[in-house]
Amino acid sequence: MSDQGSWNRREFIVKPILWAGTASVFAKADLLLASPTRDTSASPILQRILGKTGLTLPVVSMGVMNADVPGLLRRAYELGIRHFDTAAGYQNGRNEEMVGQVIKEMGVRDKVVISTKQPSGSRSQNAAAAKKQFVEKVDGSLRRLQMDHVDILYHHAVDSAEDAQAEGPLEALQSLKKDGKTRFIGISTHKTVDVLSEAIRLGLFDVGLVMLNYTMAHDAGILSTIEKAANSGMGIIAMKTQAGGTVRPDAKLPKELPAASQTALLKWALNHEFITTAIPGFSTYEHLEQDFSVARNLAYTHEEERFLADKTFASKAEFCQQCGECRKDCPKQVDIPVLMRSHMYAVQYQNIGMARDMLASRAPGRGLEACAACESCHVTCRNTVQIGRKIEQLKALPVSQLLT
Amino acid sequence: MLRHSLLRTIALVSIALAATYVQAQSSAPRTADAAQRQLASLLREPFPGPARAQAPPSFYGPESLYQYIDGGADIYLLYDFKGLLHQDFKSGSAELTVDIYQMDQTEDAFGIYAAERSPTYKFVSIGGEGYRDKGVFNFLQDHYYVKLSGSGANVDGLLDQFARLLSERIGGVRTLPALLVKLPREHRVPHSEQYVRKDPLGHAFLAPAYVVAYAQGKQESKLVVSVANNPQEAKSRVEQLTKHFQQSGECASAPELGEGGIRAKNNYEGRMIARTQGRYVIALLNPQENGAEILKTVARSLP
Repeated sequence: MSDQGSWNRREFIVKPILWAGTASVFAKADLLLASPTRDTSASPILQRILGKTGLTLPVVSMGVMNADVPGLLRRAYELGIRHFDTAAGYQNGRNEEMVGQVIKEMGVRDKVVISTKQPSGSRSQNAAAAKKQFVEKVDGSLRRLQMDHVDILYHHAVDSAEDAQAEGPLEALQSLKKDGKTRFIGISTHKTVDVLSEAIRLGLFDVGLVMLNYTMAHDAGILSTIEKAANSGMGIIAMKTQAGGTVRPDAKLPKELPAASQTALLKWALNHEFITTAIPGFSTYEHLEQDFSVARNLAYTHEEERFLADKTFASKAEFCQQCGECRKDCPKQVDIPVLMRSHMYAVQYQNIGMARDMLASRAPGRGLEACAACESCHVTCRNTVQIGRKIEQLKALPVSQLLT
Repeated sequence: MLRHSLLRTIALVSIALAATYVQAQSSAPRTADAAQRQLASLLREPFPGPARAQAPPSFYGPESLYQYIDGGADIYLLYDFKGLLHQDFKSGSAELTVDIYQMDQTEDAFGIYAAERSPTYKFVSIGGEGYRDKGVFNFLQDHYYVKLSGSGANVDGLLDQFARLLSERIGGVRTLPALLVKLPREHRVPHSEQYVRKDPLGHAFLAPAYVVAYAQGKQESKLVVSVANNPQEAKSRVEQLTKHFQQSGECASAPELGEGGIRAKNNYEGRMIARTQGRYVIALLNPQENGAEILKTVARSLP
């Protein structure tokens, strides 16, 4: 790793390829012969064990969030997907209804792993009220799913260590597990480092549902935290693996990337051995088939390698390489790489805590406060990061107000 | 004289072009402000209750919506979300949250509203349509989707008052999209209509499409009216549908259904019949016995 604690490009390309090779050995696939024309449909589906739960899952599962088409679930099951993830909040509960109805019609409840999620209620509630409300809402989920239990119940969208340890939901989760309404309990978060670290400390969660995608390749903090959680026995499931939703690196990044990009991005995430499975949110039969093809072979094709090595995606994603070349062009000697990293935490990862810590870490007079002296920033990045725009965005965020 | 007239014409055209240029240059920065002002005008004092605002309103645009609703923002962006006004209120012991989503077109507002509504909700007559539940009152009107939620004593009455006030201020279109009126009413599952911008029935090439459920006994069918840009594109969509079913099951030409008619089936989608009508593709998933007649009826009603 580089001195700044992030992987360089060579590491994030090579390391996953080495892991892919290992995975291929276990899958009896031949990495050297991997090619776009090779028919892998006869290869076995790669499976991994979810932490200490003992659940064995194919490496590609289905995030049902974006799908309201029963046929997609049926086809997903037909292909070999065995884990379906939904949540109480998706389409106001209709998503759970659909999942439940399809699983019931197919008669395969005992063959699949179903997860759903419930967020905390209002922060103004006391612990007892919060626990009661949480349990009642989970009962609602079970009714919609037409099930007497789910396999994994997540505390949904936890965005701080404080929320992770909130007494009400924690007690609710544990009592629901004890009552058999869920086999395992999990925590889902977009604030990986803070929340997962707290989850590790609490030692109560069986599963962690975290974001992991290519835009995080340089973030050793996130990667090492996830690995640590996995080593502690938590089963780790990856979401947002294809950089969609809240972690779209930039709004101007085109939605329609090359076809190879989707499988490349999914493979990149799955080539981390601490990930059991991913839950891409496909919404067409075409994407379903494309994504699930990865479950039989994690080795990169030439097109996929080219995509991951191509600077275009990274540059459009405006991913700061932390090279520091911009510093010398700033009249105030601001620590711009730190500001860019803070922007990434605040905007992409929505981790205001991390963003604040990052800003606080710079030398006095070298941070965002120094930017106030300039009407706008004209420093240019050799890698096309729009530094001025990101600094303006940072100034507009709550994190900057906390420092003034 | 001719020269004078020509010069005058050139001058007038130049002035007009300059004015257009200035308008174009200034409209972009003003657009976001205009959206905010428009939204803010809907939530001005006096408030019913009387409720007191707990803080100034928050505005979210397409690039910042995820900061408020996280991953839920994607579907709003899909329906051309333009802006959100969010504000919290308190009246006595009741607390209320007002979220007014401004979408680009009325179809978009309907699309996102319908994506979140279930046929089992308790529907009320307001705007284009609305529904309520304990502590919730959501409705659709013109190109707005209004979501009200609250808790505390007498909150349902307060929700009602806010909903009616906002409906009055929004004005505009108070009906569902016109095309839905043209579709058969018999056996239609009430409140099942959707406007799907992305991947209707799991097929990207069918977007955008209206989807409506019909039920006779225990069997449910889905009627899909896919809106293409022109008849050629509609024909291309049916060709893609044909190819999909040929690869995954069976598909045969069915001229008795009408223009471009096909009959298809596979293990996981079931049976489908489809045809074109001008720039529309009309398809029925899991059709009843009178499916062919339904296709023809719909075809006749479309422009």
